[in-house]
Amino acid sequence: MLKRIGAYWNKPSKAAYLFILPSLITLFLFAVIPLCGSIIIGFMDLDIYFSVSEFAGFNNFIKAVNDARFWNALKNTAVFALVEVPIQIIIGLLVANAVASTSFFSKFSRTIFFLPVVCSMAAVGIMWNILLDGTIGYVPYVLKKFGLEGMTFFRDPKMAMGTVIAMTAWKNFGYTMSILVVGIQGISTSYYEAARIDGASKVKQFFYITIPCLASNLGFCLITNLIGSLQVFDQVYVTTQGGPQYKTETLVQYIYKTAFSHPFNLGYASSMSVLLLIFILLLSFPIYKKVFMPKES
Amino acid sequence: MKMKFTRENIILGLIKYITLGLLIVLVLFPLVWLFAGAFKVEKQILSYPPTIFGTKHTLKSFTRIFQSIPMGTYLKNTIIFSIGSTALALFFDSLAGYAFARLRFRGKNFLFIAILLTMMVPYQVMMIPLFLETHFMGILNTYRGLILPKMTSAFGIFMIRSYFSQLPKDLEEAARVDGLNEAGIFFKIMAPLVKPGMMTLGIFHLMNSWNDLLYPLMMTSDVKMRTLSAGLALFVGERATTYYGPQLAGAVISVVPLLILYIFFQKYFVASVATSGIKE
Repeated sequence: MLKRIGAYWNKPSKAAYLFILPSLITLFLFAVIPLCGSIIIGFMDLDIYFSVSEFAGFNNFIKAVNDARFWNALKNTAVFALVEVPIQIIIGLLVANAVASTSFFSKFSRTIFFLPVVCSMAAVGIMWNILLDGTIGYVPYVLKKFGLEGMTFFRDPKMAMGTVIAMTAWKNFGYTMSILVVGIQGISTSYYEAARIDGASKVKQFFYITIPCLASNLGFCLITNLIGSLQVFDQVYVTTQGGPQYKTETLVQYIYKTAFSHPFNLGYASSMSVLLLIFILLLSFPIYKKVFMPKES
Repeated sequence: MKMKFTRENIILGLIKYITLGLLIVLVLFPLVWLFAGAFKVEKQILSYPPTIFGTKHTLKSFTRIFQSIPMGTYLKNTIIFSIGSTALALFFDSLAGYAFARLRFRGKNFLFIAILLTMMVPYQVMMIPLFLETHFMGILNTYRGLILPKMTSAFGIFMIRSYFSQLPKDLEEAARVDGLNEAGIFFKIMAPLVKPGMMTLGIFHLMNSWNDLLYPLMMTSDVKMRTLSAGLALFVGERATTYYGPQLAGAVISVVPLLILYIFFQKYFVASVATSGIKE
């Protein structure tokens, strides 16, 4: 037996299977099976105590379509994605353009802007929650000096989603910036020199050289951020818990609550997960094909 | 690059530096306030008007967070989970990434695409069956249950594969002629050559598992098994309007280890993010 394995190690085409086997098994156990499981459970009546477990057909999906809270969560998720992603990319792009050089000030700025990316969303949520608190928060205190009184941010149904979006952009713009800085540094300086000789202004250079050259990086940021924002959970969980008045409840937050707190309805939660997966696949398939798949060579 | 001091350039430069300056303040201020707040006496955190630094400082917030929740255990769990899963993921990802980059075998493209397809399915979609599966395997609420599902990832394989692909061609041929077997080639020759890639992937994995919230929240219903992120989030959920000092102290404890790592390995932190955005 040992000898046979030993023989495997001597032939590259056979050793390859030993190299990939642990990963294949892990991915099969903890990705493929759960994915199939999600689809199966989505068609079942199942709660966390297994007090019921039976085939339910499309009942869960019909329930979702008629569930106002599901549509509300979907709407909130869409609002988050459609507002947060453009903000993050525009700020990330402008900042990247400003700090892409190798000067000390640029490097220093990049170091600072990346700090929030390193911090956990749990810590960032705790921090902003207290900073923005209506009675003891420092930010409302400063705003009051400018005549803006009584803002309660996370506690205000009208402002809560905007606050969650702003906090997320604060934490993540350094991420987009870092990706785009690498892209900008890869643009040939000869383009800019030619533009300068032709007398093109900095603003024109930005719009006619930088942005077109970054098209594929920007596309990548757009899609990955969009996919990420469809899965938004952490920032809501640590600040508003979906409130006030369900104004910040996102799809993943609703799925989590349905499955792991009352009513512990795994079947219904799974059917909503499957719907989430469909949304994400529709958005992500084009980019995955373009970015990750091995090229025909 | 030579700068022409036209009026437009001067105005643009002014706008640029003022905006960047403001942005640096906007990013740094909350963090400075957080660290200062963790050392304030609770009375000064609650007083009006609020101050940034306060005048009386104490470690009481830190002792109180350790008394209110088992911070020591959370810290230990977070270290075991993030370092354990990172070490295993580095090992298994680089094994697989190496095979996909350098070896020829039947079904290679098919298997690689199959692995990449698993990357399209976000964790949130699989969390309920994964929870049930680990429950039935009897590893829910154990370190094994936390670490095993994270010991490889399609993204890690994809990332480390690109580092192996960049190595010079026919490097392994010479070693094969010298009589090394495939395992020897990998461990003695190829793996040491992708150290920067390993560091980058390692930092990426470490940061993500240290900061992860939903995954440990769901996989650890037992207080004794919770990680820092999950434990703090639950603590805040229960005491949202009291215990401000301890909340800040807890947040500080959870971010300091990564910030220290960031100071020493900034290059790899940034690379880990940047490479996730690079198309080959």
